[in-house]
Amino acid sequence: MEANKTDKKSSWLKSGWWLILLIAAGIAAPHVISEFYLLILGEALIMSLFALSFNLLFGHMGQLPFGQAAFYGLGGYGIAMLMTKFQLNFWLSFLAGIGLAALAGLIIGIFCVRLRGIYFSILTLAFGQLIFVIIYKWHDFTGGDDGIQGVFPPEFLKTPISYYYFVLLVFCIAAFILWRITNSPFGYILKAMRENSERTEFLGIPIARYQLTAFVISAAFAGLAGALWAPFYRSVAPSTLMWIKSGEPVMATILGGAGLFFGPVLGTFIITFFHAYILGFTHFWPIIMGTLILIVIFFLPGGILGFIKEKLDNRKKRDRQS
Amino acid sequence: MLAVFVFIFTMIFAPVMAQAGAPAAKAAVKAAAKDPIRLGAIWDYAGPCYMLSESAVQGIKIAVDEINAKGGIMGRKIDLIVRDTEMKVDVGARETKDLILREKVNFLIGPCSSGVALAVQVVHAESKVLRITCMANTEGQVVDKFTPYVAQVVPNTYMEAVAATRFMNKKYPAAKKFCTIAPDYEYGRREEAAFAEEIKKLVPDSEILYQAWPKPGEKDFTSFITAIMAQKPDAVHSSLFGGDLVAFTKQAAPYGFFEKIPFIALYDLPVFIALGADAPEGIMAFGRGCFFMDPNPKMMEFVDKYRKARGAYPDSWAVQAYDSVYLIKAAVEKAKSSDTEKVITAMEGITLDSLRGKFTIRPLDHMGSVPCYQGIIAKDPNYPFKVWKDIVRVPGDQVWRSEEGVKEVWKKTGVTR
Amino acid sequence: MSFDVIFNQFLSGIARGALLFLVASGLSLTFGVLRVLNFAHGSLYMLGAFLSYSIWKWLLIPVYGFYVATILSALVIAGIGLLIEYTILRRLYARGWPEQLLATYALILIITDIVKWFWGGEFLSIPRPEPFTKAVFLFGFPFPSYNFFIIILGLVLVFFLWWLVYKTRLGDIIRAAAHDRDMVSALGIPIPWLFTSIFVLGAFIAGLSGAVTAPYGAIALGMDIEIIVECFAVVVIGGMGSLPGTLLGSFIVGQVYSFGIMYKPELALAFIFMVMAIVLVIRPWGIFGRPER
Repeated sequence: MEANKTDKKSSWLKSGWWLILLIAAGIAAPHVISEFYLLILGEALIMSLFALSFNLLFGHMGQLPFGQAAFYGLGGYGIAMLMTKFQLNFWLSFLAGIGLAALAGLIIGIFCVRLRGIYFSILTLAFGQLIFVIIYKWHDFTGGDDGIQGVFPPEFLKTPISYYYFVLLVFCIAAFILWRITNSPFGYILKAMRENSERTEFLGIPIARYQLTAFVISAAFAGLAGALWAPFYRSVAPSTLMWIKSGEPVMATILGGAGLFFGPVLGTFIITFFHAYILGFTHFWPIIMGTLILIVIFFLPGGILGFIKEKLDNRKKRDRQS
Repeated sequence: MLAVFVFIFTMIFAPVMAQAGAPAAKAAVKAAAKDPIRLGAIWDYAGPCYMLSESAVQGIKIAVDEINAKGGIMGRKIDLIVRDTEMKVDVGARETKDLILREKVNFLIGPCSSGVALAVQVVHAESKVLRITCMANTEGQVVDKFTPYVAQVVPNTYMEAVAATRFMNKKYPAAKKFCTIAPDYEYGRREEAAFAEEIKKLVPDSEILYQAWPKPGEKDFTSFITAIMAQKPDAVHSSLFGGDLVAFTKQAAPYGFFEKIPFIALYDLPVFIALGADAPEGIMAFGRGCFFMDPNPKMMEFVDKYRKARGAYPDSWAVQAYDSVYLIKAAVEKAKSSDTEKVITAMEGITLDSLRGKFTIRPLDHMGSVPCYQGIIAKDPNYPFKVWKDIVRVPGDQVWRSEEGVKEVWKKTGVTR
Repeated sequence: MSFDVIFNQFLSGIARGALLFLVASGLSLTFGVLRVLNFAHGSLYMLGAFLSYSIWKWLLIPVYGFYVATILSALVIAGIGLLIEYTILRRLYARGWPEQLLATYALILIITDIVKWFWGGEFLSIPRPEPFTKAVFLFGFPFPSYNFFIIILGLVLVFFLWWLVYKTRLGDIIRAAAHDRDMVSALGIPIPWLFTSIFVLGAFIAGLSGAVTAPYGAIALGMDIEIIVECFAVVVIGGMGSLPGTLLGSFIVGQVYSFGIMYKPELALAFIFMVMAIVLVIRPWGIFGRPER
């Protein structure tokens, strides 16, 4: 019967079999696709992590940070500088990169969480640009516009396949952690703050503290993505910290859908593969991306996943009513 | 709903499956001997590099078409694949990987931006693919971060600055107090450092009073101009170029800058075309090989070809890119193979009869002894733009770092060769 | 440092500030009334510059060619502003400001490629128009007369906007709408029409300032990103949506840059962001801004 069919479908979805399928696909990938597309896949995973970190603040908390690239970049610079300048080993540098990003998130967050709405966005943009300018100009210390080259992962991770598996593993763990965070009491409070922050405050929740914690977590995961990136192509450069880069997770999230956890991941995958594909034909990528964003804003307000979810919900409603 | 999901899944991975080359887990297949030689052009189609990249790629295309018309290199045609880095380091690294892994290029030429070049270098060096650099000229490529997988046919920052400094010193031997103005990034800093080193050698009691560091892409130089003029220097050395130099020239002129202060900068064709009548005559200029700097028969032939193909005059970028392709041809023919290691060995010490005269690739650091040009800006009735007169052509081996000098830098940066 | 040197730097700072004010005023106006931070304002500025070059080249009128091209270019950009507002922004007023922000961000990408498509990557240049080709002498120093032209234009714009906002009925409506949009609408004033007019005016200002900048320096790709970042600094420091604030912000940014160049040229850019961050931390709405409701 109709009702049973829909229920079965949504419970199939809920039970997460599709997730296991995707992970299996991820593990099988190197044996099926070419090395180049494996690299793109790795890139997509890293950028998805970046987008997920952004969506913690946007989708779940309801704020639009425009300076996330600074944390992403600090993660990358952290690992790059510790490894090349101070000869620290890969694993410690990796963790230190994340720590650096989290620390910056704490310092900047203290100032930013006092603001809401567009002022929050602009302050995050300003701080992001400030960090960019410092790294760009302090060329004696950071290598300036040259960036830092020669960031190599340990021997057993040097081949594209092994590093890909590393990225896949870190992505799964990190995404899982983020998912648990959003579905924890902490995450629910963030959602409450998004819906009605005044009321939440009246309930006795210290908003600023929760916002700051979310900000630091978001920065840490952005830094994690950056720390994964640096050894991937063996170098970092200041351009990864510009505010234009901060726009990438925003666009990916809007495309995929901010309302669902995997929205940013879907959006990132689509953009990354599409971008790599298009660059083979033309360098007029920005206009394609811009038009795509406008189309999504107008016709798919909840992003692709939001659109699908709506259709699903409507179908369920119709079935219930029939 | 499931259908929708599967649809999306396939949409993402369809291009992947469709384009699946050899699965990554299997070994690569060796290219057959009569296969075309694949040339990857990696350039930056953004910001100030857009126009330079277009020019360079045009120069490459003309060279490739010429060579293919004559049967290719050792009977093998050249396939040209062009990729855009968007002047971003991460995109540059990825597109280089694309060229190497998917397009399986034998050689690379490019890019424009020195920063992108360094990142690209790490990638192709690891994959053991040879790149000719004909525009990004930071010394970092062949000196500091040397790898045998790079060869340079554009004068590096040291050579260019030394040659320009000597030219300026000859014209103004009494000048002791200097200012500099250069874009604040790798290229500008290196050129000014080389200038400072060289001028101290030529004029031991010289002083650099003030160094202006506008950001690349600066549109408003007024404050820098007034700061420089306040110092009342005897001469000013500049590595400004392109749009920055155009803006600077226009803004400095009303201050009487060019009447009061001897000045030298990278005044080449694109700047002359943009400035038109605003180009300051009598001012010193340096450059890398635009046609009016070296109007030899080969060059003028190239000018005709370029004008036919593009309807414009070729600038130094097109010239150097053209030379790069011919360098690859010469090295492959000498090695009788397109195998990278053999080509590199053949290339070391090779002499190319290029559009800019003869130059040799120094075996130690793969630096070409390419000429540096200087001159004075002047009108020419043959052209709708200003050009140079009193041209000086300095062969690269008169101004490059000596082998000892290079080895000294290598000791500091940890290069072992 | 002698007086003349300092005075000279001060004047350069004024010129730079005037240029910034020309551009930033449009951004501030749009934000003040529409509450939309138009990321694409810099793109319209760049488009105005390129367009004015092409019109100027095509017209080939000696002496007046530049002025005609400037006005025409500004009008075309205003038209484009009309198109943008009507087709895109208007439908997004009901949605949140994030969508509006993202739409303007998408426009940056689109307009950049349009400029790339039509004008390629070449950098272009217009010579300074008569009678502003030489320098005037102040206290014995040469000061380019074109810089004076820009300063005077800036002052004219200040007075025009001040008159518009404080002395006309339209201005009353504008200020009321900035305060309380719904009330104004309830009073029977067609808000959509008002918003469109303001946006078009902002676009006109963007196009005009782009065209005016053309003879000043070079017209090149990347102008849009560069100018929008400095505009943000200006409106943040001065106060978004406040005319005196934008004036003050332009002045401050111009002087910080000018004197920063004299003392530590490499950090001049960083100084501006530091000031911006400090202002945002102490007084997020800017010096003359009003706290958001």
